[in-house]
Amino acid sequence: MASNQPDSTDQTEAYLRLLTQHDRWLATYVYSLVSSAADADDILQEVKVTLWKQFPKFEPGTNFRAWARTIATNQILNYRRSEKKRSTSSSLDEAFIEAVAAEIDHRAESLDHKAEALQLCLRKLPEAHRKIIVWRYYEDCGVEEIATKSERTVDAVYRLLSRIRQVLSDCVTRQIAHPSTP
Amino acid sequence: MKDSTQSLDRIQRALEGLLSPEEHDAFKADVIQDAELRAAYVEQVWLHSTLRANSESLIGLLEEKEEPTPVKTTRRWPVAMWSAAAAACITLTSTVFVFGKTTTVSRPVATLVQAENCRWAGSDLPTSVDSKLGTGRLALVEGIATLKFKSGATVTMEAPTTLEILTAMHCRLIEGTVTAEVPVPAHGFTIDTPDIQVVDLGTKFGVTAGSTGNSQVRVFEGEVEIGGLADGKLKRLTEGKGLHVGSGNTSLGQEPTRGEPIQEAGGWTAIPTSYGKGKDGYARRGDNGAPLGTHPLIIVKHTDLAPGAKNERRAIITFDLSQVHTPSINEAQIVLDPEPSGYGFSALVPDESRFAIYGLADETQDTWNEKEMHWSTMPGCNDDGPNADQVRKLAEFWIPRGGSGGPLTIRGEALADFIRQDSNGLVSFLIVRETGETDPSGMAHAFASKEHPTGRCPTLRLK
Repeated sequence: MASNQPDSTDQTEAYLRLLTQHDRWLATYVYSLVSSAADADDILQEVKVTLWKQFPKFEPGTNFRAWARTIATNQILNYRRSEKKRSTSSSLDEAFIEAVAAEIDHRAESLDHKAEALQLCLRKLPEAHRKIIVWRYYEDCGVEEIATKSERTVDAVYRLLSRIRQVLSDCVTRQIAHPSTP
Repeated sequence: MKDSTQSLDRIQRALEGLLSPEEHDAFKADVIQDAELRAAYVEQVWLHSTLRANSESLIGLLEEKEEPTPVKTTRRWPVAMWSAAAAACITLTSTVFVFGKTTTVSRPVATLVQAENCRWAGSDLPTSVDSKLGTGRLALVEGIATLKFKSGATVTMEAPTTLEILTAMHCRLIEGTVTAEVPVPAHGFTIDTPDIQVVDLGTKFGVTAGSTGNSQVRVFEGEVEIGGLADGKLKRLTEGKGLHVGSGNTSLGQEPTRGEPIQEAGGWTAIPTSYGKGKDGYARRGDNGAPLGTHPLIIVKHTDLAPGAKNERRAIITFDLSQVHTPSINEAQIVLDPEPSGYGFSALVPDESRFAIYGLADETQDTWNEKEMHWSTMPGCNDDGPNADQVRKLAEFWIPRGGSGGPLTIRGEALADFIRQDSNGLVSFLIVRETGETDPSGMAHAFASKEHPTGRCPTLRLK
């Protein structure tokens, strides 16, 4: 391991505990700001390594998500800047990432609640729609692959996926507003 | 937001990557300017990303019935597991029953990111660069291939190697050599071999499993934990340390089936070391485990490190030519079948290794005994190497890092000439490696001997 990394076992354990607790949230955050799946996974790894390197600067007891959000956003912006071929639209990309990051920041609490409510809403979907969700997100299939698997047209799959996501979105919004109503 | 249906459609298309680059740029510009569109986009992208980030738990959806009654409490996502053992147990291929029909789903856990001069065999996974790999087996015959797991771990396979991918945190080395680089977040990444289980504790390490039951681990950086040892204890290895385990499931000393000369197409006669008075074996400086004449492998290694290093190894093969009229030989070839030795890492030897074949000119030494040969009694050699008074150098050959991709054929006029001069019906050849290593854990090269259960034994082809 490089010499600039924390090396005490306590530090490592504290870091792994926090990372585990916020792992899926961190992935959600990075995925929200990086549209390419392959890039997103690479950036996510880099973010985790950076968080680990910077961990000695984290004050225990303070908001880990807020701290991690800043580091992750910077890492994503740096990654964009390092991609030379995108130079023409890089300023647009950066402004877009910053705008979306600020919006997520602003709505952080409600988004976290919605993510929790999503589990319940998924279980309310009809079986056929759950299957589409599993294909799209568990198997990582694109719209075209799902079209082949489900013997539908690409356009039909796209419309179906959009509708399912809209149903889920409406459901989580209702859950947040009235947690006790179905 | 002018038209909410149209906006939602743009958002959905953006999420699925269905916008053209121009449309996507226009969309981004609008998100920056339009607060309402931005809010709607963030709601949708967060939902989409939450599903991606929690994809592993989605498979459970197919096993549950629809929720007919309201559930009052909101459920949290299952807490991510962070212990190595738990992470290693996640099964990524599941068979579930949907409406009475079986649906098998497999999700990618790794990507093949690099493949140098690779040749593959018997793999049930795709082998082109950038392929997404789910659970399954990869058999690399030739070359060096690098896999990047979703956990962040990078595993490099050196041919010949067969690896089974289980999850993003777990794979099984059937045989061959891999090196793994594991960043902190992938802490707990595990590689099983037939003999042991290696659990990473934040490190860079190598594992090699021989085709005849032995495994070696070497830690380049950091620390690993070894499980599955015979005494049931866990053992920690730190930087620079190594461990070698023999499982005992080798067929050491077994009596091989005797072979016969084979008449091949083109007038060739192939004579294996398993024919007649033929034999093969190797010796190691220090004689650890000696005599090694009946080992399933003949192993060669050379080191330029400390003089007197104990890992110097040389091999000798003898063919029975009693049924061959040697003076009329026109051409000769020696065929050797490389096998994983289970010792050392090719990352620690140069890009290409040079070997030499010597003919044993002193025919009185052709009668060496497999069950008695030691380092000091190896025919035609003294401690430093082949003895120029007793042997003749006949040929050199090279094996690139990542293997030769199959049997090696060594030929040349000097070889045929040497055989023509035979007078006792036996010819012996010494095999030595001339290329040294940069680290004592450098790779030992091995070839199947006549005791090997599946490999082709050394063979002399004549015509």
